[in-house]
Amino acid sequence: MENVLNQVLLHKNSRVGADYILWKNSWGGQGLKNAMERPADIVSMIRDAGLLGLGGSGFPTHIKWQAIADQTNTEKYLICNGNEDEPGTFKDRVLLEETPFQVIEGATIAALACGINNVVFYINPNLKTCHEVMQSALAKWLASEIYHNALQQGLNLKYTIVASSGHYIAGEETAAIESVEGKFPFPRGKEPRPTSSGVNGHPTLINNIETLCNVPHILRNGVQWYRDLGIGEANGTKIYCLSGDVLSPGVYELPMGTPLTELIFNYGQGMLVGKELKAVFTGGPSNTILTEKDLDVNLDFKSVSERRSALGTGAMIVVSRGTGIVKRVAQYVDFFAAESCGQCPACKTGTYYMSQLLGEIDTGKGSKADLDSLVDLCKILPGGGRCHLLDGAVKVVDSSLYHFLDEYKESLNDDLN
Amino acid sequence: MTNNISYQEALANYKAVAERPLPEVNYEGLLEKYHPDYFKDACVQLKIGPNKGDICHIQLAEMLQADARIDEADLAGAQVIETDILIIGGGGAGCAAALTAAETGARVLIATKLRLGDSNTVMAEGGVQVSIEKDDTPQQHYDDTLRSADRSVDKTLVAEMVMSAPDVIRWLIQQGMQFDLDEYGDLLTRKAGGTTAPRVVYFRDYTGLEMMRVLKEAVRSSEIEVLDYVPTVELLSDEDGHCTGAVLSSLEDNRYKLVKAKSVIIATGGIGRLHLNGFPTSNHFGATGDGLVLAYRLGAKLRDLDSFQYHPSGLAYPQHLSGTLITEGVRSAGAYLLNAQGERFVDELQSRDKVAAAIMRECAEGRGVDAGNGIKGIWIDTPGLELKNPGIFNARFPKLIKIGKKSSIDPRKQPLLIYPTLHYQNGGVIINKHGQTNIPGLYCVGEVSGGIHGRNRLMGNSLLEIISFGRRAGIHAAKYSPRKPFRKVTIEHLSRLRRELMLADMPMDPKGPILFPAYAKFETDSDYSGLHKNIKSK
Repeated sequence: MENVLNQVLLHKNSRVGADYILWKNSWGGQGLKNAMERPADIVSMIRDAGLLGLGGSGFPTHIKWQAIADQTNTEKYLICNGNEDEPGTFKDRVLLEETPFQVIEGATIAALACGINNVVFYINPNLKTCHEVMQSALAKWLASEIYHNALQQGLNLKYTIVASSGHYIAGEETAAIESVEGKFPFPRGKEPRPTSSGVNGHPTLINNIETLCNVPHILRNGVQWYRDLGIGEANGTKIYCLSGDVLSPGVYELPMGTPLTELIFNYGQGMLVGKELKAVFTGGPSNTILTEKDLDVNLDFKSVSERRSALGTGAMIVVSRGTGIVKRVAQYVDFFAAESCGQCPACKTGTYYMSQLLGEIDTGKGSKADLDSLVDLCKILPGGGRCHLLDGAVKVVDSSLYHFLDEYKESLNDDLN
Repeated sequence: MTNNISYQEALANYKAVAERPLPEVNYEGLLEKYHPDYFKDACVQLKIGPNKGDICHIQLAEMLQADARIDEADLAGAQVIETDILIIGGGGAGCAAALTAAETGARVLIATKLRLGDSNTVMAEGGVQVSIEKDDTPQQHYDDTLRSADRSVDKTLVAEMVMSAPDVIRWLIQQGMQFDLDEYGDLLTRKAGGTTAPRVVYFRDYTGLEMMRVLKEAVRSSEIEVLDYVPTVELLSDEDGHCTGAVLSSLEDNRYKLVKAKSVIIATGGIGRLHLNGFPTSNHFGATGDGLVLAYRLGAKLRDLDSFQYHPSGLAYPQHLSGTLITEGVRSAGAYLLNAQGERFVDELQSRDKVAAAIMRECAEGRGVDAGNGIKGIWIDTPGLELKNPGIFNARFPKLIKIGKKSSIDPRKQPLLIYPTLHYQNGGVIINKHGQTNIPGLYCVGEVSGGIHGRNRLMGNSLLEIISFGRRAGIHAAKYSPRKPFRKVTIEHLSRLRRELMLADMPMDPKGPILFPAYAKFETDSDYSGLHKNIKSK
């Protein structure tokens, strides 16, 4: 069988760390070179390649790019989003640490395509090594031949590395803008959109690190090559973060659309100590849960959403029989309650209340009324916040109630009814 | 196999004499040939964990590489307790840590496997080393400790310990502990094996018991919460690998309790009840090395896992008291060790490893006493000491007189048969001067820690260590615990353990920690119902 693991972003030619010479001698700079030759075609290439936002949304990248490119403003920003803080997601840190030049080249091409003149690498401050590697790589990039050639051909760019606040919420698009402006990362209302008014009122493009990393390769190898990488209707590759009760957890770059069973049982080497699979939290915990019957699902945005779930960041947290779903969900909702920025009342009180109820039920102190309240909250809370934090928290609770209601009922304290 | 001399014949060979000259003793190759640490078959290389590749005793290795007792499913519905500092173990080290931490105002919870004070601290008889005599200095104490350990110690820890010793004694006296005093009310001292100055302060031959009495009363009258009969089966961690609490298993109702804590101090003591190499032990019932297993799983690095102390003078006969300790104080007061021919064969105040090895040499070469049923040993010349120093046993060694009564042998008239007994785990979890391990939020103090005694411990240094480091850890944990709300509590590290076990192709059926020795037979033994009655009556 053809080896399909780590073909592009995590290929050994990409994973050179901050070693500029190694990178230049492999395939570094070729994408940018092609881009410099015909900058006007970049957006259409990205469109034809079908590149999607890999930070979790799956939103077509070219639409955002086109929107920015159409702005006449002379100041434009690109935020390369490396805030990564969701439980079970650990792909961006690998890309930043091991492939910093890939990130820089991708960002540069994106800037070129959209007429952007400020590139901000926005990185979680807890990822210290990522900061160090990016600093070192950026210094080498600014002194490099590739960059100077690009300068001579009219590239005009300012790069900065900014530490995010480290909050989960700081990864949200508008919160990232606030953060780059030096304020607390409160998400903004969604009109105006960042593409028309972002950092300091200037049009701002926000892309996930993994999305940007794909760009140089599309420019280097062409649209068809990228489309052929994926399985079925899906294009390109995806980095899956496999964790939980599997023998070999880790990051696996596989063709977009690889079946879940393949990821768990082939690449993850199956379950730990002969345990049986119970559920998979996909895309981090802010999504619905997949169960055993969904093992055959192809892991691309469209196929996963057909199973009432979402691919999200590509995180797959596998839990086995024996794991208490209520306890797990309680932990995740605790996380959301702690990470809620508190500006929307529904989110601030809703996540807190859900976390209290889940805690009571999990520790055997919950009554039937508590469970009923939880069910009701899942109906009334969604849409109550500016950003998706609240919706994500509700989604995981709602989905666990849908699949594992019996387990909730077993945990109730009958004396209280 | 060489035949030793029968008990009756050996007794006939024995004559009580006050003074005996020391014969020429050959120490060359003694340890290598006769000390159990050097038995090649007894050691293996660890295959998993932070000490992968290190040499470890085979029985200990089996525990360190055992699967956990619990699974995520066991935590569903568990009672959750919150505290600032959780202390696992209710011996001297645990109590000292608890008392100092509680003084700062921190909420402290002690969880013990049996009851508060059921520990090896109460077994310690000899005393506490502290350089207080005018001809003595902490430097000499330091030098002696390094020499006896063959320099294999963590020097910082030893320096910290010897310097803090006088303050430790002052603190103990303030807590109400008694010591034997001279006519002016000054502390009496005696000399320990392998040291250059009289430095051991003591109370009769039950110094540890007196220490524990005082600590226990202090704990009971403080705000410290104590949970009895709750062995710890696992530590808890968060996603960054910080220690965030522990899982207790209540013997009362067989349910699990989760304790969320800002810091955890392990003070679970030693490992004697594993009966390494088939030796009897002087250790109490709960000394099954739980702390080593728990810390190792969480990623704490250990040291000297093949080094144990065999106390030279464990009672060998009668069999039902086998392993009971006869304090080194008896030897330091001047009692000789005699073989079956009634001759001295070793300098009794050599370091413990050498004296123990010399006893094993006598028995291996046919000069030992054979008491039948595989019991062998050599004499400790208690009648000779009584002759030299009349009345000393009544005044200084009441516990020994009591042992004599239990075995129907009057030690003042007849020598006692002794053989080395498994006494102390020299190695353990690597710590710094505050008792911190390499795992944030996890401290280890007392016998479970390693580095202070190197590969051979001096008498009186362990009672000093438990208080010295217990107090340090207590203060540090209280002061530097994060003020933030509680971190996450998960047993995610067990997945890592199971992953490593599977990838190393190791068996998954041994479960650890073992909590109680196999012969406890809790399911069938009537003692278990006794244990239950104890719990119920609370």
